[in-house]
Amino acid sequence: MLEKIKQALQKNPEIKAWIIRQETTRSSQQYDLKDRTEAVREVESELYTIDVLCDAEDADGKLTSGVGTVSILPNGEISSALQKAVLTAQLVHNQPYDFADPSPIPEVELADQIYQNDPEGEIRNVLDSLKKTTSTYPHVRLTAAECFGQETTSRLVSSKGIDAEQVATDIYLQWVYIGGRGDDEVETFAEVSRRRIADLHIEEEAALRAQYTSDLLNAAEPPNYTGPVFVQGSTLAVMLAGESLAGSLLQTLSSAQLKYSGETPWEVGKTIFRGEVKGDDFNAWANRQLPYGVLSSAFDKEGIPAQRVRLVKDNNLASFIADQRFANYLELEPTGAFGNLEIPAGSTPEADLQRGSYVEIAEFSWFNPSPITGDFSCEIRLGYQVIDGERKPFKGGLLVGNLLDAVADVRWSQETGFYGNYLGPRAARFNSLKLAGLGDQEWV
Amino acid sequence: MKDKIMKPDMQKLRPELGEVVGILEARAPYGAVSLDSREITRYYVDNSQERVIAGEPTAGTVLRAYDGHTMHEKGLGGFNQEAVTQSARDLVAGVDFSSDGKLDPGKERSGDFQTEMETDPALMPTGQKLDYLRDLNQRVRKIDSQIVNVRVNLVDIREKSVFRNRVADLAQDIQRLNISVLVMVMGEQGVVYDYTSKCGAGGLEMLTFNDEELEELVRNAIKLKDAERIEPGEYTLVTAPGVSGVIAHESFGHGVETDMFLKERAKAAHFVGKRVGSDLVNIIDDPSLPGEFGSYFFDDEGFPAQPTQIVKNGIFTRGLTDLYSSTALEIQRSPNGRRQDFTRKVYPRMTNTFFASGDLAVDDLIGQVDEGIYVSKVSSGMEDPKGWGIQVSGHYAFEIKAGKLTDKMYAPVGITGYVPDVLGSISGVASDFSLSGGYCGKGTKETVPVTDGGPHLLMKARLG
Repeated sequence: MLEKIKQALQKNPEIKAWIIRQETTRSSQQYDLKDRTEAVREVESELYTIDVLCDAEDADGKLTSGVGTVSILPNGEISSALQKAVLTAQLVHNQPYDFADPSPIPEVELADQIYQNDPEGEIRNVLDSLKKTTSTYPHVRLTAAECFGQETTSRLVSSKGIDAEQVATDIYLQWVYIGGRGDDEVETFAEVSRRRIADLHIEEEAALRAQYTSDLLNAAEPPNYTGPVFVQGSTLAVMLAGESLAGSLLQTLSSAQLKYSGETPWEVGKTIFRGEVKGDDFNAWANRQLPYGVLSSAFDKEGIPAQRVRLVKDNNLASFIADQRFANYLELEPTGAFGNLEIPAGSTPEADLQRGSYVEIAEFSWFNPSPITGDFSCEIRLGYQVIDGERKPFKGGLLVGNLLDAVADVRWSQETGFYGNYLGPRAARFNSLKLAGLGDQEWV
Repeated sequence: MKDKIMKPDMQKLRPELGEVVGILEARAPYGAVSLDSREITRYYVDNSQERVIAGEPTAGTVLRAYDGHTMHEKGLGGFNQEAVTQSARDLVAGVDFSSDGKLDPGKERSGDFQTEMETDPALMPTGQKLDYLRDLNQRVRKIDSQIVNVRVNLVDIREKSVFRNRVADLAQDIQRLNISVLVMVMGEQGVVYDYTSKCGAGGLEMLTFNDEELEELVRNAIKLKDAERIEPGEYTLVTAPGVSGVIAHESFGHGVETDMFLKERAKAAHFVGKRVGSDLVNIIDDPSLPGEFGSYFFDDEGFPAQPTQIVKNGIFTRGLTDLYSSTALEIQRSPNGRRQDFTRKVYPRMTNTFFASGDLAVDDLIGQVDEGIYVSKVSSGMEDPKGWGIQVSGHYAFEIKAGKLTDKMYAPVGITGYVPDVLGSISGVASDFSLSGGYCGKGTKETVPVTDGGPHLLMKARLG
């Protein structure tokens, strides 16, 4: 099929350049409800996606470039699909550009061999392991769990001479712990996405969620508060690197596309912050080479090889993240897709970040800052008031602030952790954030 | 119908589906087959670029064999008859189906359905769609020189599906459209933005903006440069329909999807027949509303669309079900079994979820507020079905003084509180009504198109 599509593209003189992506996926899914299995699913699919680049003239007679994209199922009709792609490409008028030239593609570790050897069995093992671990926490009940595994083989062939293939796995685990009884029940909902089963760290995650469930049973209402806020683990990772529903502010504002459209105020060599940096200096990489990072890839959708791009150096923007087109426009080296966020270890031991009095945010309902300004006002699912080591759980209220201002006044931990799309300090102490509590009580 | 409304390969496979159901039910107490095709095209124009992006289409067949205890499913890309028949045999081979499951395949039903449209987007050339977006972009750019970019985005979703079990043979062709305009203005602290959108199930005729709407959009984007953060505390507030809708969605939408009952995640499960809001609170989910973004003719398990009253005069009446949860809970089905696409499982999901209107004029509602806040634009929300906390993020809000809106703007504004307290505080319901469309996930996955909305509401809640 791929060869037939390639031949049809090569025969069409209207096409300036093309890319074919062949994607084959196999997925195993199991859904458990308490002690029974609600559903088991197997999914197989194959799809060919073709980008064609054509030059044309706009209404003023200026030379323009445009891309048309179509997808074809195996044994689908090639000729009419390509006609549609060419027609679309000729109607889209942008400043001229070209597709990526071939470059050496690095080896990036993306697949879990253990899963690949027995997908259905390993998914069952993950859920069994979660049940076994949970049984050691008698105060919680595992009422639901879902586990998916997917293996995706991607091949990319382009008119520029790129011909590359990568195989990646994705493992997703979700579960619910219920604690208490009757009117006093509480829940903890956990979702973890990784490339490898080993990186799910089921025992550690289960222990943490069991503790949260227990603490929620004793949670009070939060006071109003302004001061140090301690965040760790996956909650910190989501704040900095985002998740599938809410992207990362760093990724948005470092986008060459947004630079080209005038939507980001960031400039290379200048501070990314709106004011003075009062905490640790900030450094970051956009890393698509991170072994088993959920946003890692050997090559992206344009065939641009994985890179580890210096994003921020000592608070100043080091590079924009540019696909081929916006790299052409802004005369930058293309970096390809952003990938994972990497932040270097801080200089303060985690234990020192937890001295004195502070608020710890264990979980937000959803940390979703404005993707452009970084302003946030997010409900707290579980937090702690900490006074010299004594921890009092609370639930509710809003953490209010601006993410860029928060990162400009933070201390990072020496200890690091890997949370799927984030490698960096395991904990951070933001020196001054505001908590809008549920009453008039102030914590001074 | 309507041969034309199905894709040719779906149309070709459809007559064979009865036999495939027979293969499944030779061993399983219940079998069903769905053919599902979803094509998404995004047209995008801003000040410096344009794109037509074909989203990855999903087109595939789902085979289901179910005994009331466990659902066994196979999802296959495409509509190849040989592969579907062989997969049906493979799916039921070697599975020991329980024989004591209670199953209801529903009433005998058949029919082919299609969204009503004046201007079918499939028949409008791509160039014409791009011209419309270019024109909209130009209209907005001209309004003010402080604008740095105007993003105009049209999402065209075409869903075609066939459902077959032993008593049902159904097909539907649904056209959904969503257009948004986002205006960006450079302020001292960086870029600020406002947006507006229109959506529905229907043709391009529903996507027009008048000059007044666009001018208001730009005015609010510019005003955001000087917006203040609100002092956290409890306020009397009036919510615009979009904000009211997200409150409905997060409070008695997600929390009453009955898989949550089975997972013991729903506090609402203990409140059936009990008061959860003031007498003025009526919350409904209705996929049968004509022309709405979350509408359909039958759900992904072949159950015909109809309204479900979730909260009636402040009393929680019932939840939203799919086949599995209604069977397990032994409650009446509602038409809410939805899957993201053929690669995903069905869950009970919302469709068009809203507060019912009351009888007060909007000005009279605002006129009741001596000092308060008008939350006029929403950005997102998040559910807490067990704790009944609520998080609704308002993009901005205005001050109300002496029953009138002032120019003082706050942004962003988070609404939080305990669901029964917030719904219990509703003391006024306006007579207006509108729905806003978007995409809803379950956790961070399982995206489906939905709307939410209702009228303006008067209530008390904490803001921050």
